[in-house]
Amino acid sequence: MQAPLLQLRTINKYYGRSHILKDISFDIMDGEFLTLLGPSGCGKTTILRCIAGLEDINSGDILLKGRSIKDLAPNKRNVNTVFQNYALFPHLNVYDNVAYGPRVKKSMSEKELRKRVADVMELVQMSGYEERMPHQLSGGQRQRIAIARALINEPDILLLDEPLGALDLKLRKYMQTELAQLQKQTKTTFVYVTHDQEEALNMSDRIVVISEGELQQMGSPREIYNTPANLFVADFIGDRNIKKVQLLEKNQEYCKVMLGRSIIDIKCSECVEGPYSTGETTILAIHMDKMRISCDEIPNSLSGEVRLIHYAGSQIRTEVDVDGEIITVVEYQRNNCDYEIGDKVSVSWEESGAVLLPMEEDAGESNA
Amino acid sequence: MNTKPKRFRIFYLSLFFVILYIPVLSVILYSFNQSPSTAQWTGFTMDWYKDLFQDRVIVEAFKISILVAVSTSILSAILGTAAAIGTLNVTKRMEKTINGVMILPLLVPEVALGVSLLLFFTALKLPFGYLTLVLSHSLFCVPYVYIMVQLRLKEIDKSIIEAAKDLGAAKWQIIKTIILPLIMPSILTASLLAVAISLDDVVISTYMAGPTSTTLPVHVFSMMRVGVTPKINALCTLILVGTFVIVGFSQFISKKSNQKESI
Repeated sequence: MQAPLLQLRTINKYYGRSHILKDISFDIMDGEFLTLLGPSGCGKTTILRCIAGLEDINSGDILLKGRSIKDLAPNKRNVNTVFQNYALFPHLNVYDNVAYGPRVKKSMSEKELRKRVADVMELVQMSGYEERMPHQLSGGQRQRIAIARALINEPDILLLDEPLGALDLKLRKYMQTELAQLQKQTKTTFVYVTHDQEEALNMSDRIVVISEGELQQMGSPREIYNTPANLFVADFIGDRNIKKVQLLEKNQEYCKVMLGRSIIDIKCSECVEGPYSTGETTILAIHMDKMRISCDEIPNSLSGEVRLIHYAGSQIRTEVDVDGEIITVVEYQRNNCDYEIGDKVSVSWEESGAVLLPMEEDAGESNA
Repeated sequence: MNTKPKRFRIFYLSLFFVILYIPVLSVILYSFNQSPSTAQWTGFTMDWYKDLFQDRVIVEAFKISILVAVSTSILSAILGTAAAIGTLNVTKRMEKTINGVMILPLLVPEVALGVSLLLFFTALKLPFGYLTLVLSHSLFCVPYVYIMVQLRLKEIDKSIIEAAKDLGAAKWQIIKTIILPLIMPSILTASLLAVAISLDDVVISTYMAGPTSTTLPVHVFSMMRVGVTPKINALCTLILVGTFVIVGFSQFISKKSNQKESI
């Protein structure tokens, strides 16, 4: 196994008395697309700024290719940032913006530079815009120039701070694909910060989920989506029904739990390991879109009464009352039966869509 | 909207400006009057202007005024800008203190300032004249430059400076390639303002002027003792035009720079 490109080791950061980053440690592999995902204010941008050198860390270490860079000034680190608002130099035209890095570092001759600028401009599909001023460009175009300006330095790591945040939905979707392609094409390591889980799941090789300055989970989009490490991740990623259940029995393969009056089996390979003992209350989290409604009684299902049917474009959201607990089911088509409000139905789920999580102290029922 | 109050407002505003500018207009008018007395208008003439340019003392004073104004403007532009850039890297509290000390020279009464400068330069044994004029004028021009440049600096997006750092620029490179170009319009406007302020100053210049180096306003003041001649009217008209040109030019610069970067 190859050595990690960048290592963060128990990083702590305080602003005054508030503890912004709490013992953050993770590795970034060469050539991967890693996303830092979390709600706003969780510290993900601060991590990025610490890597870039725009913020100091209070304790811990940052190693780039095995060497500590924590005391290096930003201009001495071979990482570059694409800022949230692009931060193009307003008084310089596109060419001079892109050429800025090599020029201040005097790393190449003007002739060589001209060729390099042409190369990166082609890479971001902005050839021909060299003479424009930043204020003559649209948001998406500025975005590309900001990426070109960073990429021309051939950084070990490209840091992107919510670069798509200011764009409209359609352009954002398009740029997601573009960015992912660009990353594969340039084989540059991307560290991407976003609060948009869809963006993270679409683009990344690996995701680091952060909340309140703490690392919650790290893994592939699939792992993060299907096997959340804790309640926070389960609630933050995807739409889930999150319910308190009673653990009745636990064996090698299945956990038997009770929700309301229904007793159901949950496959244990999908459960988060925890010190569960029978009789304890735990959390059951099931993806809304991995559930099915059928009119007939089926084994290992929850039976309840349809309370509300909501047609939202391509999907149908149905609320089912199961012994006083509301379960929301998202379907893309009617599967087995035509049900109406008030009908008795059975709700089943794909085994991979359901997980059991340990109870946390302040765990409320966030989508009751 | 009622038209009556509107008409009244326009009338009031016009009256206001007429009263404000009539004295100024009368100076211009009488500078073209044939009669040396302001009592009557006897006809149009350019003689007073001709007289003006033949008066060697006035031309000499004018040259000194311009020389002092330009020197003052350059000196205070450099000092004021350096001070403003310097405050980028200090704490909020430190900045407030610096601001206070910076603006103090504007609050000290000019008469007091003049006396203290007189004592100070005498103690230093500096010869009164060009040098003392430039130094004392810079004293009250630096604050203007400092304030104007600092305002502009505050408008610069912090992430632009971070981006430059991130792309590998050292501190001096950031100042040279990013900060100075962005604040240049403000520096130019402030310099022009400094020229105008320096050209205009009477009180401090009266203290600082040497036996052979009198600035134009000080000379005008001494001419007045004999009485207002149309020559003074002509001189004032020229000063007026000069000031308008400077102010107009500075407006032009700031307008152009605003257009350029409305991101």
